[in-house]
Amino acid sequence: MAQVYFEDIQEGQEIPQLKKNCSTQQLVMWAAGSGDFYQIHYDKDFAQATGLQGLIVHGALKNAFLGQMLHDWAGQKGQVRRFGCSYRGMDEPAQDIVCRGVVTKKYSDGGKHLVELDVWTEKPDGKKTSPGTAVVALPGKE
Amino acid sequence: MTTDTEFQITDEMKAQIGVESEPWEYEVTTTSVRMYARGIASEDPIHYDVDFAKSQGFRSIVAPLGYVGTPVYLPGKTDPTFGFPRREGGPRLNIPFKGLLDGGTETEYFDVICAGDVLVETSHLADLKLRDRPGGKMLFVTNEAVYTNKATGKVVAKMRLTSIHM
Amino acid sequence: MAEQTHFEDVKEGQELPEITITPDKQQLVKFAAGSGDFNPLHFDENFPMLKPMGLTENIVHGRFKYAQVGRAVFALAGYKGRVKNFGVSYRGMDLLNKTITVKGVITARRQEGGENLVDVDVWAEDADGKKTTPGTATVALPSRG
Repeated sequence: MAQVYFEDIQEGQEIPQLKKNCSTQQLVMWAAGSGDFYQIHYDKDFAQATGLQGLIVHGALKNAFLGQMLHDWAGQKGQVRRFGCSYRGMDEPAQDIVCRGVVTKKYSDGGKHLVELDVWTEKPDGKKTSPGTAVVALPGKE
Repeated sequence: MTTDTEFQITDEMKAQIGVESEPWEYEVTTTSVRMYARGIASEDPIHYDVDFAKSQGFRSIVAPLGYVGTPVYLPGKTDPTFGFPRREGGPRLNIPFKGLLDGGTETEYFDVICAGDVLVETSHLADLKLRDRPGGKMLFVTNEAVYTNKATGKVVAKMRLTSIHM
Repeated sequence: MAEQTHFEDVKEGQELPEITITPDKQQLVKFAAGSGDFNPLHFDENFPMLKPMGLTENIVHGRFKYAQVGRAVFALAGYKGRVKNFGVSYRGMDLLNKTITVKGVITARRQEGGENLVDVDVWAEDADGKKTTPGTATVALPSRG
């Protein structure tokens, strides 16, 4: 992705989407990377015994995907200052999860060029499963 | 799955025996030693507690037996499932079978491996054996690997690894 | 960790303390994490390679069993001993949620190159007593004197 600059951004603009689709193997790799070995993410019997329909994707992994989307967009010269989301809906393995973001505000503050965004993950039917926000510092063209 | 009852080891494959791979770094860190120890359900503090390990005369926490560090992972250069490096230089075998099982593992130690060590691994194909099985063949592939401590230049371990392709 | 074993304390024919483990899916996922082997054969009951390999359930990583044998050999050596080598063959498969028992027997005591060495037969057996993972090891033990 080419470096984005503060001057080129408009409020209301959507940033490039990041599409994910987690295999069971991916969820196990997240368990390895995060240290979260909770069985609802890879042991179907366990998941169902807790009342779930089947395996679900870790909330923190969806948060990480949103972080990846922001990191990719901010580029080498940008900086993700803050990002977070709520895990409102569940996502399953072997199903598309689309990470999306829209610029809600741009402003300068003490020499920094900042952009605020709404970010979220979305299911194939359009349902927003992890709504959140982010603040990204972008370089100016000067 | 491909089971070829007519499969034979080719001269091309035999020529790969002894071909040395390019070296690859394996990192032994406190985090990786602890994760491996948790993976084998060992609760021995020698694998977890750095102060305890030092009190017992070790440099740092000790790698559980069989753990020689985690190979440095580089996307595109490392197998994403098994984690082994797909190296530029080294033996090349085109094995038509999709089934893969572990055949055997042997480690010879020349020193204790501890967190903080970086090991350089080189390996070569040591043996190829073909055996019959109902409905097909089994190809036994044995690799020998040598692990050298990067800082000291000393060989700390050798491993002999056999896999069965079927 | 138990008391240090010394060369003078061991006898040929002596059995090693057993180690038992019944790996559940979480344990195999932890082993995938620790070893870097993320083969779905070991944790995904829908993995397409299970059937062609004649399996109906996930199997335990061979290297997991090797590591269990390793725990027994490490315990024999103690912190003051040194494991010279240990190796196994994977002759049979072990399944998820089934008990694996590691056993060992000392087969020889000898001195070589200034070291006090002990040779052992070690193995992992499944719940039916079948030796799925037979092997051997050599350990150098400290002397009391």
